[in-house]
Amino acid sequence: MGDFNVFHHMPWSGSYAIYFFVIGISAALFFFSALSWYREEFKSLRASSFYLSLLLLAVGGLLLIGDLTQPGRFLNIMNPAYLNFDSPLAWGGLNLISFGLVSVAYFFMLRSNDEPRGRILAVIGSLLAVGLPIYTGFDLTVHQNRPVWNSPLMPVLFVALSLVSGAAVASFLAGKNEQLQVMLRRFMLWSAAGVGAMLISLLGTTAYGGVGAEQTFMFLTSGVLGGIFVGLGILLGTAAPIALLVTPFGHRQTGIWSAAALLLVGGMALRYAILIGGQIVQTYF
Amino acid sequence: MSELRLSSIETRGVPGKKRYAMVIDLRRCIGCDGCMTACKAEYDVPLGVWRTWVPYRVVGTYPNVRKQFLPRLCNHCDDPPCVRSCPVGATYKVEDGGFVLQHYDRCIGCKACMASCPYNARFLLPKDRSYTEITGVVDKCTFCHHRVIQGMSPACVQTCIGRARIFGDLNDPNSEVARLVATLPTQVLRPEEGTKPNVFYIGADRNLTEHGRAVYNPPEVLERDRQAFDNHKA
Ligand code: SF4
Ligand code: SF4
Repeated sequence: MGDFNVFHHMPWSGSYAIYFFVIGISAALFFFSALSWYREEFKSLRASSFYLSLLLLAVGGLLLIGDLTQPGRFLNIMNPAYLNFDSPLAWGGLNLISFGLVSVAYFFMLRSNDEPRGRILAVIGSLLAVGLPIYTGFDLTVHQNRPVWNSPLMPVLFVALSLVSGAAVASFLAGKNEQLQVMLRRFMLWSAAGVGAMLISLLGTTAYGGVGAEQTFMFLTSGVLGGIFVGLGILLGTAAPIALLVTPFGHRQTGIWSAAALLLVGGMALRYAILIGGQIVQTYF
Repeated sequence: MSELRLSSIETRGVPGKKRYAMVIDLRRCIGCDGCMTACKAEYDVPLGVWRTWVPYRVVGTYPNVRKQFLPRLCNHCDDPPCVRSCPVGATYKVEDGGFVLQHYDRCIGCKACMASCPYNARFLLPKDRSYTEITGVVDKCTFCHHRVIQGMSPACVQTCIGRARIFGDLNDPNSEVARLVATLPTQVLRPEEGTKPNVFYIGADRNLTEHGRAVYNPPEVLERDRQAFDNHKA
């Protein structure tokens, strides 16, 4: 009664979660295309997976730039006189641009089907690709005042989420190629299991954290984000597909696709809930 | 100051450098919001956002009740997470004086600084403003840098009727702020974040300094503010 505070804004809106989702898938799809130079099973994915990765990279880049309030100044992030290497965003910007450049080189290499160069670009591109979910995780981790975000798990969790969502999309691209589906099923299963294990630790440390963390836990579980985080993210989007993938049905084509669809829903929901969850409590401080 | 200096960016206790700080004596604050108004007028701060604000909470149970105020502003931290998180160096610390300021022409609007400030001291300026050309970038309290370098005190300090806000150079042992910080028990907000704030409170109430359970039942005025800002943006 009679309290007064002013409203504060959540700096990072839900569109960042879409960016995290899209860029994570793009990175993993590049990785699967790159893998095709070293593993025969992935060969049929080489072109399709890469083209989709490139498209999603473009979409992700546009989303990111569109979310800046000064999109025209995006190039400031490449100005050596401005760059602040204490900020993970600066590293992320450079990583994203380098990944884009390598992707373009990879595109031309694919058209000329140059095997030796393809192998090299595949390795360089994969290293840069794994940098994308790592930097997005770091982007959150470094904010020491934010519950959930400020955990060393974040970069690893984002790499695992990227693999889950990327493998899910790749399973649709793989069509009826059985050998490839077996591999992708494994990718989905093990990275989803990794995500599940990390979520358990994250929930534990958040629930037993300080007041801000404890309240964030409540928002994420029984509060406004409960349906998205627990319902869609954990139960429907992680636990259910894992359960599905281990059953005999989950070894079949339709089972894998059903699990993939659920994992995609879960991947988006988890990214959204983690992004927003870390910001709710502070808007009232 | 016998505090351990941990980061190279800190200016507190650096010989030959000024270190401006504010002491807010809450025993004197009457909650008139004069500081909020003076600040709004000084900077044409748009609707729905504040460089300084004065939240209050009624604490206690009738008949033992008290209205507790906690004027807020950027703490011009000695180890500011906002500065380290800005990818393009658009927010920076002035070494002599310790002001944390903005290069408005450099800011790309990524809002990383807002995410990293534990105090909600930063906000986004709307895209359209009637009288001021600075738009669509992040802004915050400047400790009235332009006034202070001309020998004046910040607008909020000058207007404070209760003389609750005291401003000065913490590195000058003869200044009023240095004397108050040295001789009275003071508090800073969220010290656990390692930011080393330079706004010191005398008599801060934990009902206002801690994350309260009230987040589950936010007062309606928050919604009205949110609405006001959204309408203004549109
Ligand atoms: S209060 Fe926030 S905006 Fe001000 S210096 Fe500290 S971290 Fe930066
Ligand atoms: S919003 Fe502007 S000042 Fe803040 S971190 Fe981004 S570029 Fe820097």
